[in-house]
Amino acid sequence: MNYLEAIGQPKPLGIYVHIPFCRSKCAYCDFNSFVPTGKEVMTEYVSALIAHMESYKTVVSDGYAPDTVFIGGGTPTALPPEELFRLVRAIKRIFSLPKDAEFTVEANPATVSYSTLARLRRMGVNRLSMGLQSAHENELKALGRIHTRQDFARSFRMARDARYDNINVDLMFGIPGQTMDSLLHSLNYLTRYMPDHISLYDLKIEPGTKFYENYREIRPLLPGEDAEADMYLAAIDFLRERGYVQYEISNFCHPGHGCLHNLKYWNCDEYLGFGVSAHSYFNGQRFSFTPELDRYVQGVTVKDSRVKITAECEEIGERERIGEYVMLRLRLCDGIDEREFAHRFGYSFEALYGDKCRKFVRLGYMTVQGGVTALTPAGMFVSNAILSDILEFEDLGRYQFS
Amino acid sequence: MAQTEKQKHIRNFSIIAHIDHGKSTLADRILEFSNTVEARDMEEQLLDNMDLERERGITIKARAVRIDYTAPDGEKYALNMIDTPGHVDFNYEVSRSLNACEGALLVVDATQGIEAQTLANAYLAVDANLEIVPVINKIDLPSAMPDKCKQEIEDVIGIPAEDCPVISAKTGLNIADVMAAIIRDVPAPEGDENAPLRCLIFDSVYNSYLGVVVYIRVEEGTLNVGERIRLMHTGAEFDVVEVGVMDPFGLRPTGSLSAGEVGYFTASIKNVSDTRVGDTVTHAAAPAAEPLPGFKKVQSMVFAGIYPADGARYNETKDALEKLQLNDAAFTFEPETSIALGFGFRCGFLGLLHMEIIEERLEREFNLDLITTAPSVIYEITKKNGEVIRIDNPTNYPAPDMIETAAEPIVAASIITPTEYVGGIMDLCQDRRGVFIDMKYIDTERVELHYKLPLNEIIYDFFDALKSRSRGYASLDYELEGYEPSNLVKLDFLLNGEMVDALTFIVHADKAYARARKIAEKLKDNIPRQLFEVPIQAAVGSKIIARETVKAMRKDVLAKCYGGDITRKKKLLEKQKEGKKKMRQLGSVQVSPEAFMAVLKLDDDQ
Repeated sequence: MNYLEAIGQPKPLGIYVHIPFCRSKCAYCDFNSFVPTGKEVMTEYVSALIAHMESYKTVVSDGYAPDTVFIGGGTPTALPPEELFRLVRAIKRIFSLPKDAEFTVEANPATVSYSTLARLRRMGVNRLSMGLQSAHENELKALGRIHTRQDFARSFRMARDARYDNINVDLMFGIPGQTMDSLLHSLNYLTRYMPDHISLYDLKIEPGTKFYENYREIRPLLPGEDAEADMYLAAIDFLRERGYVQYEISNFCHPGHGCLHNLKYWNCDEYLGFGVSAHSYFNGQRFSFTPELDRYVQGVTVKDSRVKITAECEEIGERERIGEYVMLRLRLCDGIDEREFAHRFGYSFEALYGDKCRKFVRLGYMTVQGGVTALTPAGMFVSNAILSDILEFEDLGRYQFS
Repeated sequence: MAQTEKQKHIRNFSIIAHIDHGKSTLADRILEFSNTVEARDMEEQLLDNMDLERERGITIKARAVRIDYTAPDGEKYALNMIDTPGHVDFNYEVSRSLNACEGALLVVDATQGIEAQTLANAYLAVDANLEIVPVINKIDLPSAMPDKCKQEIEDVIGIPAEDCPVISAKTGLNIADVMAAIIRDVPAPEGDENAPLRCLIFDSVYNSYLGVVVYIRVEEGTLNVGERIRLMHTGAEFDVVEVGVMDPFGLRPTGSLSAGEVGYFTASIKNVSDTRVGDTVTHAAAPAAEPLPGFKKVQSMVFAGIYPADGARYNETKDALEKLQLNDAAFTFEPETSIALGFGFRCGFLGLLHMEIIEERLEREFNLDLITTAPSVIYEITKKNGEVIRIDNPTNYPAPDMIETAAEPIVAASIITPTEYVGGIMDLCQDRRGVFIDMKYIDTERVELHYKLPLNEIIYDFFDALKSRSRGYASLDYELEGYEPSNLVKLDFLLNGEMVDALTFIVHADKAYARARKIAEKLKDNIPRQLFEVPIQAAVGSKIIARETVKAMRKDVLAKCYGGDITRKKKLLEKQKEGKKKMRQLGSVQVSPEAFMAVLKLDDDQ
């Protein structure tokens, strides 16, 4: 039992809402998103979301105090503004959100207006996340983005004018045709705007994307493993000099501006996700909802509907929880604290993983200092290889905490 | 010698053909034509029992079937059709099968002409004094050139082909001509039914109910149920339990077999290695004075280590090898240990095809995942102290200062190719240390090349290289000629400073550098990047002669943690973990099982 439960305090909870609509589909994107056929589809979907959240109202208020909200996509700002407002109002009402709750909306530079941003801000949205991806038109075009650098500059200034003091901007590397110089140039361009938070993602070519279909043509244009690793390390240095602290594999911020909602994922804290393909970790279960829009809408709005909207659901046992914790916490620069680990699970991290980690410490991929185990930047960029080596999601029985 | 009435109505023949020239299809048609097998019972290629044989379209084991045939004139005949293996690896088996016959159908694809393999087997048939009956097949194809084929047969083999059957086994066209030719041209068998018993063993198979079923041709005398027999070369004696003939549906007991007949017997024999192909069966009480000529103990020519990919499946692998050996006396194995691969077996094969077949059967029929090391030949080493040793595992090759002389096996190879590829093939043979003997024009478009080649140069990928340089048209046949002194060195490979014994092999000194470089490159391409840099070194003795480096892995990350989709990341890592389990840990380096074979493909032309 969690100590908050034990003393009768409500537990924190993150709320995620997925908006699967986009004006057009980017070449690298394998998220559940598509170009809607008309406004009715979107109105219907927002109504479904609200009904769905409504059905969780009692369960949530009975033991939880939601404190972060993230509306992501797709492109939330692709919704008609009044639908987006309706959604934000509903979230605040249903989950009795406190005024200081972190409330993020993803916004595409090409699809926002000042009035929309200003109204959202007045309603309690206090964090924006924008995708710049690159400051080079040829790279943006390669990615299939619909915005230009000018769109970004205009939107960013608009957001500041609308009193957003917590803005994230996404940037990518490993883009077809990208070089170290062009990445550093993009970083330089971006940091002059002084966003509060920067997410720097390595492009991964996923099945189901246009890049995947055209892999043969794309492949020779990709910078490649060594160049991408060099870019990653150079970007970390560059951002540090500009005052950005790295706190996760792909995330940097000015001190005090880490994304509280995303930190819930990496801390194994609880969250509820609404909408198609949304994922939840709630009451000891990980589950997700159907990726099919029609099925989702029908399942949540039709009374006594037999349509099942749950796509996956698994009970997370103790052993698996430990594995997940290690996997996720090692994404964070803070790493794993021996004391916190023992407090949380009743096992010794050193006893469970110490031996396996030493090899990586020797190779320079990990550090262990003052009871804290963390990945170095080079280690982060090969973290899958490391994690697949040390992790066991089962068979922890032979280790006993002493 | 006078023939009995029974003998006059027997015809024993085999079918010689190149792979894909239609041997099995013709056999099916003959069975069908003689009403031995009803069309509705026909399964394609009835004679080839093993799945593997059907798929590859080749015959691996000899097989015989008796066909009761009534000729158009009303005479009733017993036709014994003996199917022979169709590959150079099985030359000895072929020669024994042919010795059980009086005639052979030589099937030639009208679109392809004679191939090296066909020619080699045709010569074997001529050596065995068989009457050769040419059959031109596939004349239904638009590119068929029957007249050119006939000319080729006359020019190359020197037998008349003017009036030979011209058929399509596929459509069934002119099969009657084949039947007539068999009756007319294949001589009836001879042999005294009352002489001391002499039977030729041409194959044997293990059956879990009957024990070993021995396929024989009775040359002289008569074999009856209940008699005590002796195998003249092994000296083993058995009591005959069952005697009979093989019809298309299986074994049919007849109680006795007499001179000229082909059939089988069983005698509660437990092990096929007791019934060697080529051995002579006689009566224990009244034995023949001399065994039939031509017996050889078959010897493995190619050796390789076979290891279970999962070390825990050692015993399963051993059981499987034992089961295969029950049916294949030419296949040998004994336990061996490798530092890199753990516990496994050193296996001996007749040749590379034989090796591939065994490997494939182990994986398919016994569901085993295997790692096979580079095939090797047997080297003969005379040590400084005068001792002569035979080395079938490169790891055991003695240190240079202990060796007085080393010798390696040499084969006489015959290659038939369209003329336009001769240049490329000669380059290939040259590159493989071949010594040119001669070149003969078969006709204006095709030549036959003769080379002396070291066996260790052709066991890896020579056949593939030959095929790729001739767009698949060249064919190869070879036989062991003997041993010749050679300047050989042992080439070792080190990964991250640790020697990997499973990669060691023997190479001619002149080729050591080039081979070392190439293999090091191949290893580099086949070893995945690890979390640290892995040096690859090739060494002769303590001297490093080639070096490559597998750079350290730099990127393996899931940058974005998709909107809280933890399950997906977990699955990805679990999959990655599974993948690692399939890798072999060589010291600190992980290597995929495929890497062991991949390094042996040396020809760049592919």
